Amino acid sequence: MQELDMDARYIPSGNIVAREIEGELIIVPLVSGIGDIDDELFSVNETGKVIWDRLDGKTSLTQVVQLLADQYSVSRQEMEQDVRGFVGELLKRKMITDARASPASS
Amino acid sequence: MTAEYATVTQLPQYHLWDRTKGKRIPYSFDLELTARCNNSCRHCYINLPRNDRDAIKRELTAEDIASITDQAVSLGSLWCLITGGEPLLRDDFSEIYTLLKRKGLLVGLFTNACLISEEHISLFKRYPPRDIEVTVYGATKETYEKVTRRPGSYAAFRRGLDLLLERGVKVRLKAMALRSTVHELPEISRFCRTYTKDYFRFDPLLHLRYDGNKKRNAEIMAERLLPEEVVAIEQADQERADSLLRGCDELIIPALKNQESNRLFTCGAGVKSFTIGHDGYFRLCSSLWHPGCVYDLRKGSLKDAWEHFVPQVLGLRSSDRDFLEKCRKCPIINLCLWCPAHAYLEAGRMDAWCQYFCEVAHARAKALEKRAGLSQ
Repeated sequence: MQELDMDARYIPSGNIVAREIEGELIIVPLVSGIGDIDDELFSVNETGKVIWDRLDGKTSLTQVVQLLADQYSVSRQEMEQDVRGFVGELLKRKMITDARASPASS
Repeated sequence: MTAEYATVTQLPQYHLWDRTKGKRIPYSFDLELTARCNNSCRHCYINLPRNDRDAIKRELTAEDIASITDQAVSLGSLWCLITGGEPLLRDDFSEIYTLLKRKGLLVGLFTNACLISEEHISLFKRYPPRDIEVTVYGATKETYEKVTRRPGSYAAFRRGLDLLLERGVKVRLKAMALRSTVHELPEISRFCRTYTKDYFRFDPLLHLRYDGNKKRNAEIMAERLLPEEVVAIEQADQERADSLLRGCDELIIPALKNQESNRLFTCGAGVKSFTIGHDGYFRLCSSLWHPGCVYDLRKGSLKDAWEHFVPQVLGLRSSDRDFLEKCRKCPIINLCLWCPAHAYLEAGRMDAWCQYFCEVAHARAKALEKRAGLSQ
């Protein structure tokens, strides 16, 4: 997997729509080549959702780890593993983008 | 990899459907962009002339549709099927299609493919539809145009279909089994299956028009196959016959004979889906046009329609003895085209018995029971 820059700030890609239905977070691809899902649905669970909510383009991944580790009283190391895992997956599926490179962040 | 944070599930297996089984949530809706069509098919229930001014005047604008879609999305809608008439007749089709996609909907499209242009192809390549379904009215020009009654429509259909297929846009083909097509149905099936191996269906049952046009209704009735013909083509299609046999337990339910209910609606109308009419009227399903069962979205909200109006309609009951003894207790109702919506179109009453549907259902049941007996 690609090495993550923990100082980076990420935002949802403009090529997806994040939908909340009956309390479930679903990522719907808008354009082709996103997520590589055809007849499938990408849904985010509770752990993923708390990370997703912090991907606001203003908070770096290091800050996200710290905030969530404090909020959920888990070790920083454990939380970093979760953030790296989930953010890596989202990047692989092109569902988030680096806010520094995105015009949407300005 | 995704297991700890997210899941990738086949849509039909998504756990939300099970979790919300007993709840009324409008996960999908049909959006009828227009009642007009570039063809004039003999069997069709909604195909006003392409330049019908009154029909154009009644159509929802893109702004209306954006507002209704916002409401649908907030109620939980995930799927939207764009239908008509022929949706591609709308000059603002691309705008409407894009806005539906941008709201986070999985968008499907029913089209006859005759009007497919390079612009549509670019649109579908950039924003892929969930699927596009095209009806094949004939494997030859003669049959196709006998149904559509528009010279040149076969060439336009082939050009549109080729464009979609060559450019890799996902298409599913289907057919209508009509008096005008039945002689060619095996060729039509082969044609469809050549292009869409994983999906093919044909529909042998026709309901009447939404506008009650007597001349056109007579044409639809003339296109209906005899019950024994319906059964013969269903049994001749191995895939369909096997599927009917597999579903036998749900198609023939002897226990329904003892059912004590006077409710009109026992189907899925208004439970997980609804229809937005071209004229801004909310309907519980695409066929339910009874004036007492539609809701004007230009005068109210989708939320009000879904939360307050639908339960009123679903609560309707009948005291008609014939209905209560025949249809409501019928063990083969699931093999029948009867439903309150189709009964209204057929006879002007939602609890009317419909002879043709009943005869087809009995012929189907007989064939199914025979086949089930043979396979045991």
